Amino acid sequence: MKKLFVFLLLAGLATACFADELAVGAKAPQFSLVNAADGKTVAFKPGDGKLSVVVFTCNQCPYAKAFEPRIIELAKQYQSKGVVFYAIDPNDEAQYAVESLAEMKSRATEKGYPFPYLKDGNSAIAHAYGARVTPHVYLIDGGGTLRYRGYVDDSAKPEERRTTGLSNALDDLLGGKSVSNQTTRAFGCTIKWKS
Amino acid sequence: MRRTLLILLFATSASAAELRDVSDPAKIRDVFPTTSKIRMVNIWATWCVPCVAEMPELRAVAKALGPDVALAGVSMDNMIPETTREKVIVFLDRQKISYINLYYRGNADDLATFFRFEGEIPVTIAFDRQGKEVWRHQGMIKSADTIAELRKLLRRMQ
Repeated sequence: MKKLFVFLLLAGLATACFADELAVGAKAPQFSLVNAADGKTVAFKPGDGKLSVVVFTCNQCPYAKAFEPRIIELAKQYQSKGVVFYAIDPNDEAQYAVESLAEMKSRATEKGYPFPYLKDGNSAIAHAYGARVTPHVYLIDGGGTLRYRGYVDDSAKPEERRTTGLSNALDDLLGGKSVSNQTTRAFGCTIKWKS
Repeated sequence: MRRTLLILLFATSASAAELRDVSDPAKIRDVFPTTSKIRMVNIWATWCVPCVAEMPELRAVAKALGPDVALAGVSMDNMIPETTREKVIVFLDRQKISYINLYYRGNADDLATFFRFEGEIPVTIAFDRQGKEVWRHQGMIKSADTIAELRKLLRRMQ
């Protein structure tokens, strides 16, 4: 019995550490996290009728930072169409002080984030979504179903961009169509998991 | 004469690492010496924390295994707008990396598709002379483990 318990515990931990990415068509996990910008709690309840973008990003990753202006641009562009953006930092602040709430607040203020910048303190929400890297984006429809996951674009350099993953998916859904390219390969820095 | 020799000596010791540009992932496997039995591709970037931490391990692997195992580092630094190839050269010099080094200028997704990895680096993949994949490690390698595993592969190739 004890052996079985240890096995199940280890199996559970393995699942938690190496969870697959959330499948397109699956119900998105809800969350309630602190917004570094103002210290208030922000809750996302999938199925609230709004098209929502969840972006896992962070303060330290140069690739995430390279995409930051693009994410801000897209947020401003699509918020006027009713789309809600959430940025989530899942990195462990105990290992990387630059990921603390205070540092997140500085970044959000300095860059003028037009969306909440939420702290996923124990990386649980990143695990629930199966995020691997920063940046890693998820697009959820008004019914709470995941419709797109992957990269923002295939290049952080506008002049080398061939496909625009997130904006294509948003345009498809806003146009009443199904998303033509539902999954792409997110590149970036490995999430610095809470150990 | 003595002064000329000193200048030459300084020029040699300060020579920059060779960094070749490549845009087509399929061309990467052509850079290895034909004599090497195992050809390893390490995909990395200076902006990637575990990649930087891995450098001494890769240097140790290259040093321990000799010409039977050839190593090529493929830098993905070009993905970041403000990064330059000069920055990569300075980094390689500082790290005393003397194996083959490539600066990838193509599309990141194309590279990942060709070498079959998700968007996380570092990743290190070894091929035999025929181009068949014989070993792969996702994440940071440990030199002792990698050397042991590659020596085992080399013995099987005898």
